[in-house]
Amino acid sequence: MGDRRQHRILVVSDFFYPNFGGVENHIYYLSQCLLKLGHKVVVMTHAYGNRSGVRYMTGGLKVYYIPWKPFLMQNTLPTFYGTLPIMRNILIREKISIVHGHQAFSTLCHEALMHARTMGYKIVFTDHSLYGFADVGSIHMNKVLQFTLAEISQAICVSHTSKENTVLRSGLPPEKVFVIPNAVDTAMFMPAPERLKSDEIVIVVISRLVYRKGADLLVEVIPEVCRLFPKVRFIVGGDGPKRVRLEEMREKHSLQDRVEMLGAVPHAQVRSLLISGHIFLNSSLTEAFCIAILEAASCGLLTVSTRVGGVPEVLPDDMIVLAEPDPVDMVRAIKKAIAILPMIDPQDMHRRMKKLYDWHDVARRTEVVYDRALKCSDQHLLDRLSRYILLTHLSSKFQRRVQRGIALQRASGDYSAELS
Amino acid sequence: MGGSSSPTKSRWKKVAYGGMQPGYDDNHTDESFLEDMVMNANVVKRDVMKVMQDSISISQYLSIVALVGVVWTYTLNYMLDENSLLLIDVGLLVSGFLVLILTEEMLSLYLLFHYFLNIAFFIMGLYILAPIYKTLTRSISSDSIYSVTVSLLIIHLFLHDYSRSAVRAPGTWKNPSLTSCISLNASVVASVFVASRLPSWVNVFAIMLFSLLVFLFAPLVTYCIRKYSFRLHILFSVGLMILSLGLVYVLHKLLFVVFLVLLIFVTIVCPYWLIMIQEYKFEINGPWDEAKLCFDITD
Repeated sequence: MGDRRQHRILVVSDFFYPNFGGVENHIYYLSQCLLKLGHKVVVMTHAYGNRSGVRYMTGGLKVYYIPWKPFLMQNTLPTFYGTLPIMRNILIREKISIVHGHQAFSTLCHEALMHARTMGYKIVFTDHSLYGFADVGSIHMNKVLQFTLAEISQAICVSHTSKENTVLRSGLPPEKVFVIPNAVDTAMFMPAPERLKSDEIVIVVISRLVYRKGADLLVEVIPEVCRLFPKVRFIVGGDGPKRVRLEEMREKHSLQDRVEMLGAVPHAQVRSLLISGHIFLNSSLTEAFCIAILEAASCGLLTVSTRVGGVPEVLPDDMIVLAEPDPVDMVRAIKKAIAILPMIDPQDMHRRMKKLYDWHDVARRTEVVYDRALKCSDQHLLDRLSRYILLTHLSSKFQRRVQRGIALQRASGDYSAELS
Repeated sequence: MGGSSSPTKSRWKKVAYGGMQPGYDDNHTDESFLEDMVMNANVVKRDVMKVMQDSISISQYLSIVALVGVVWTYTLNYMLDENSLLLIDVGLLVSGFLVLILTEEMLSLYLLFHYFLNIAFFIMGLYILAPIYKTLTRSISSDSIYSVTVSLLIIHLFLHDYSRSAVRAPGTWKNPSLTSCISLNASVVASVFVASRLPSWVNVFAIMLFSLLVFLFAPLVTYCIRKYSFRLHILFSVGLMILSLGLVYVLHKLLFVVFLVLLIFVTIVCPYWLIMIQEYKFEINGPWDEAKLCFDITD
């Protein structure tokens, strides 16, 4: 590995610490591991409160909090050229070789990728979320994504479902899109040192209580499970607009002593909450990857989850019980999980998770993507412009291409079935 | 896995765990790529005749509003006196009730009485308020009032809830949408404005009663007719369209042409257009879609 090249990477996203979430986590851990591999990593995000300017984090990770205020959901106001001067400054000062943007609805990421491309840098983009194709918001986002990704060097998705989604949305050739999942810091999520007593079963839910996370499903599922299993107790961590509905449900079925509502749980306390339970319940309606499941599994909990988005890819079948997102099936899944619970050894589960997910592995795979990106040929400005013009016609053409592709695929599938 | 270095590669699996799959790059695109994608799963095939028949209810409502406009114009030009207006009001009221009684099998005597009581209160309220309406816009010029009225009517037509009757049929109470509320309010304000330009308060009362009867109850009555018999609904609509076209023709030639073009556009061109653009319909569904809940959320 002597000839391995050192990359100088600028990671751009609106979402970074002190804000907390999947993307923030991903950027932090990936950067740390890339630093350990000998690359240079600089993070750029917008100012959070009075946190503006340059900060250093663990391992010498340099973070630029550029003085732009967020205006909606932690996003900066899209100005197209407003961020160009400071971007250019950072790119030149840090002698960047690759710009890596994260998350499709970060405006800062889109602007940074646009400017970086204009300045001739190689760009890589990671998509962390799934989008539909029907509503106005998605149509707009998909157009923006097509614009940004029209000239991307390489793209990364966190699951195979997410890759299918991104390819459809942006019209990228599938071979340019890599699947590199999230990982979990298994050292931070150790199971409880001794096994919990099994005279009562504790089901833990940690999620924002919003529609997309399936809080309405919980409202239907919890009373039914409590009715069927007198030994089950629920602990719900998280806050959101649907919390009122859950509390109403608790009153209505008088389950105050069996359903504990904790409100928002700081990330540092997630582990201690997780290890107080036997089963982790995820009720999301859409999910590209779901790190929460990894954290729970790493703590040795058996997971029950809805079969949505990338969730079925996340864990081997014997570590998770999947259910369709409807209350009856979810109750069935919980029943099954309670039945197989005695066979689950948290310590063993933790050891397996250690082998399955590792941030260092993620970093090494990302390194490969960077190497490929650097090998991509440079494109002339005129090519780029002509591609933008094509973009307006792209949707209809692309759709036809997809249709044809599918037809071919089906045909070949039938053919191979006949052969075997 | 365990050291079995067989010449055939282990099969690629659609999983995210366990690191890079041996023998496959991270950008490996399997044969199963996009296998779960479903295209145009819930597209409804539409038939031109059906769409045209459905669009009739829009033309019907347009004709009703045109008739109201004609009556307003005649009254403002003193070609309709208060007695004939009151006669029209009574005629509308009686025929409306007749339609309700004849088409609604569920109508109980109690409900009918309830309706009567409500309408009696309503008419009394109007009767008391008529002198106030008369002087409401005295300080404003007629031109501005007319232009505002026309704009309000256009807003009313744009936002009107054509799919269902704005006033619910008995028994089906559901919250009306914001747009249909705005639409109804626009029509009421337009009626008040027009009434306020009239010379005597009896006139004001008569025209207000007429407009409100039409705007509030016409959707209900047409809904009842359509529910009772679709053929009757078509006949009724065509009759209304011919009547309104005739009256508008008498009133103004250019307006007639505009109205005719509008009716043709709504009933013939638009349905064809819809069928034509159907073939471009392209829906993609797949595992990335947000799951839909199979039960109602009652907040």
